[in-house]
Amino acid sequence: MKVWPLKFREHDHGELLFTNDAGGFFRSDQRFLDRYVDDTLTDEDFEFLRRHGHAYRDTRDAAFDGFCGRWARRINPVSKLNYFILIPTLRCNLSCDYCQVSRAPETASGFDWNDEILRQFLGSLSMLDTETIKVEFQGGEPLLRLDILEEVREFCRNNFQQAEFVVCTNLQSVSEEAWEFLGAADTFISTSFDGVEEVHRSQRTKDSVVHSEFWSNLQRAFSEFGTAKASALPTLDVHNLPEPESVIRSFVELGLRSIYLRRVNYQGFARKRYDFKDTQGAWMQFYRRFVGCLIEHNWENDDSVEEYYLSHLLRRIFRTGIQNHVDLRNPNWLGYDYLVVDFDGKYYPTDEARMVSRIGRMDLSIGDVDSGIDARKRDVLNSAASNFDDPDCIHCVFQAYCGPDVIDDLSRYGRIDIPRHETAHCQHHTALFDFAFELIYSEDPKVHRSLGHWLGTPIYRTELAARLK
Amino acid sequence: MIPLRVAIDPFPISEPLVIRLQNDGPSEEGTARAFHRGQGFVEYDVCGLSLTVRTPDPDALDGDVVMILPGQRSLHRLIRNGSPHNTFLVTEQCDQKCVMCSQPPKAHHVDLFDPFFEAALLAPYGTTIGISGGEPALHKSRLFDFLLRVQERRPDIEFHILTNGQHFDKNDEPVLQRLDRTRILWGIPCYSASPETHDDVVAKAGAFETLERNIALLGRNGHRIELRTVVLNANVNGLADLSLYVTTHHPHISFWAIMQLESIGYGRQNWGREFFDSSQNFNPIAAGVDIAGIRGLETVLYNFPLCTVPEQYRRFCANSISDWKQKYLPTCSDCSAINRCTGFFEWYPEKRGFSSVGAL
Repeated sequence: MKVWPLKFREHDHGELLFTNDAGGFFRSDQRFLDRYVDDTLTDEDFEFLRRHGHAYRDTRDAAFDGFCGRWARRINPVSKLNYFILIPTLRCNLSCDYCQVSRAPETASGFDWNDEILRQFLGSLSMLDTETIKVEFQGGEPLLRLDILEEVREFCRNNFQQAEFVVCTNLQSVSEEAWEFLGAADTFISTSFDGVEEVHRSQRTKDSVVHSEFWSNLQRAFSEFGTAKASALPTLDVHNLPEPESVIRSFVELGLRSIYLRRVNYQGFARKRYDFKDTQGAWMQFYRRFVGCLIEHNWENDDSVEEYYLSHLLRRIFRTGIQNHVDLRNPNWLGYDYLVVDFDGKYYPTDEARMVSRIGRMDLSIGDVDSGIDARKRDVLNSAASNFDDPDCIHCVFQAYCGPDVIDDLSRYGRIDIPRHETAHCQHHTALFDFAFELIYSEDPKVHRSLGHWLGTPIYRTELAARLK
Repeated sequence: MIPLRVAIDPFPISEPLVIRLQNDGPSEEGTARAFHRGQGFVEYDVCGLSLTVRTPDPDALDGDVVMILPGQRSLHRLIRNGSPHNTFLVTEQCDQKCVMCSQPPKAHHVDLFDPFFEAALLAPYGTTIGISGGEPALHKSRLFDFLLRVQERRPDIEFHILTNGQHFDKNDEPVLQRLDRTRILWGIPCYSASPETHDDVVAKAGAFETLERNIALLGRNGHRIELRTVVLNANVNGLADLSLYVTTHHPHISFWAIMQLESIGYGRQNWGREFFDSSQNFNPIAAGVDIAGIRGLETVLYNFPLCTVPEQYRRFCANSISDWKQKYLPTCSDCSAINRCTGFFEWYPEKRGFSSVGAL
């Protein structure tokens, strides 16, 4: 019998978590580790390891194929370009605290797509080798250029078999024409709502008249379209955190069952002021408290609620082929299946790459609508797209579930080769995966109930939290 | 019950005949048009010969692709127009003797692949044809040849092939690569993760070992597989284990069908010993469904009437019982879920069946 390489990490109560490259995992203890290291595994050890996909008799054994199949299915393949994030204008009618770089004043000029960019962009769409397309309108505030949105949508509807549109709007000022635009069946609304009214007001709307405009538009969006068409994301500042219970209550009142907790992504000077390493502990403390409140909520109520990213991590732990979230996949190919098109027509691989470039830290654009993709630059970025051969990741117990974030490393450190465990991305994800595995191995029926909801099954099954005694 | 065979008057043929029956419209090659309707019969023009079909309801046969075998006094409705449940029974031979088999094996074999090929050519666009037995892969080279010939002439046709997975080997890989993998679904039974239990259920020593090797072989060659597990008293408590096993060792499986027992053939003989009353205790089945779901394997519950399944698991139930052998009970007439429900097999033994059945 051969054992696939195991990686391990100490977990709560002194147990060790073991994982393999195909994402299989179990908990055991120091004595097992000694037997594994000393090559003195028992027949019972082998039996357990084969049963759980960590060992095989020979290459004709189904356990061998099973491992290979699961390993292969975790790889994110390069896929066709069919998703665009467009910045038709950088202008915005709000000036939120943390949005220093991705906006321009509402009255400024030179921050919108001109006719030439629009024409070139639509021209590039007609050359795509895809029958489906998704377009996300961001900004700035995209509703300031409803005319461009109309034109892009019309073009896509006429040129693709299936087209879907998301308008990322602050819902501050919505004309009747804009409501009509948002009402179409193929068009979805994504807005920001910072968890509770007071926080939202202090971070974004500020003035009471401005705030009440937003508030009535938010209510209208959800009452008119419901959560099938409208969603809201909170952006939270670790120095101004709301009470978890009130955030959950606010979201449930809007009918939302999925809350994606995003912390403010400071850029430039502000990033130095709110240093990641000083705030990570406080953020994780809040995050754990928030999830604890969700678990309580789900125990008491039938309308279960999830934290989106935690559910995503759980799905990536238990399943293969979960590639639907572009921020965490492996390899995380940049500039292939989706592109950001900035107000000046430049292409960026991600929205963060756009911001890093905007503050002048480094130019991460990879071409533009006029000259097309800069394949050489894209190749350079993708040279570190996977964690397969990262000298630190290969030792990490969470490698199979994780994925690199080259842009975040570049934006924070200006390079991609610092020891992985010193990066914000790694520290944050290590903390999240530690937490996820605590939940997976929890014996609390309240946790089990929530895990069932989050993983989309009636009852969570502890057989999946294997232990080798 | 919808009849699959319909009486005919003696018809002078020496080779199997496959034709499409048509009430009207132009006579094309391979079609037989009705030219006379009488009391309880209808006559079709088959290349100038008169075929008399004894049926009170000739409209039901309109558009059907049928097969007549020399000397037989009935026709076989191979592809019923508009029905999603059409199966070619390619052999009655089998090397296993499963305790629930609905079609117990027979020693004799008649090769009908050629008429089946003709029938496939006459099928409506996009038809799914079931291939069943017996064990179709006992006649593997004829089967592969049939599939390749059909896919060349009718690439729109899909196949759902039931096989016990015992008869593939590495030498089949070139053919497996040539078959249109997007249009074939292999339905393969596996009853337990315990080799002993599986071998007992199928009454063949070593069957499990061959099965797991061949599921891997099909998967490695990119084929789509529906794993099928009939719930029995013999295996029900191992469904959680089976779910872990399948999701660990067979990631190639497209989905998993967990099926209730059908009381016919050996299933009827062994009903008393093997029928598991899931209306009383759904837990072992729920465990299998949950584990597969968490691991990302889609499960489907076949032959489970909705009222026998706890509310939160009803979304996994499929309307799986073929139209021609499906029935509903008197109590079903008051049920609000009847349109979503698979109902019962025509031969469901109500007195020895689910203890808890009732309108929702």
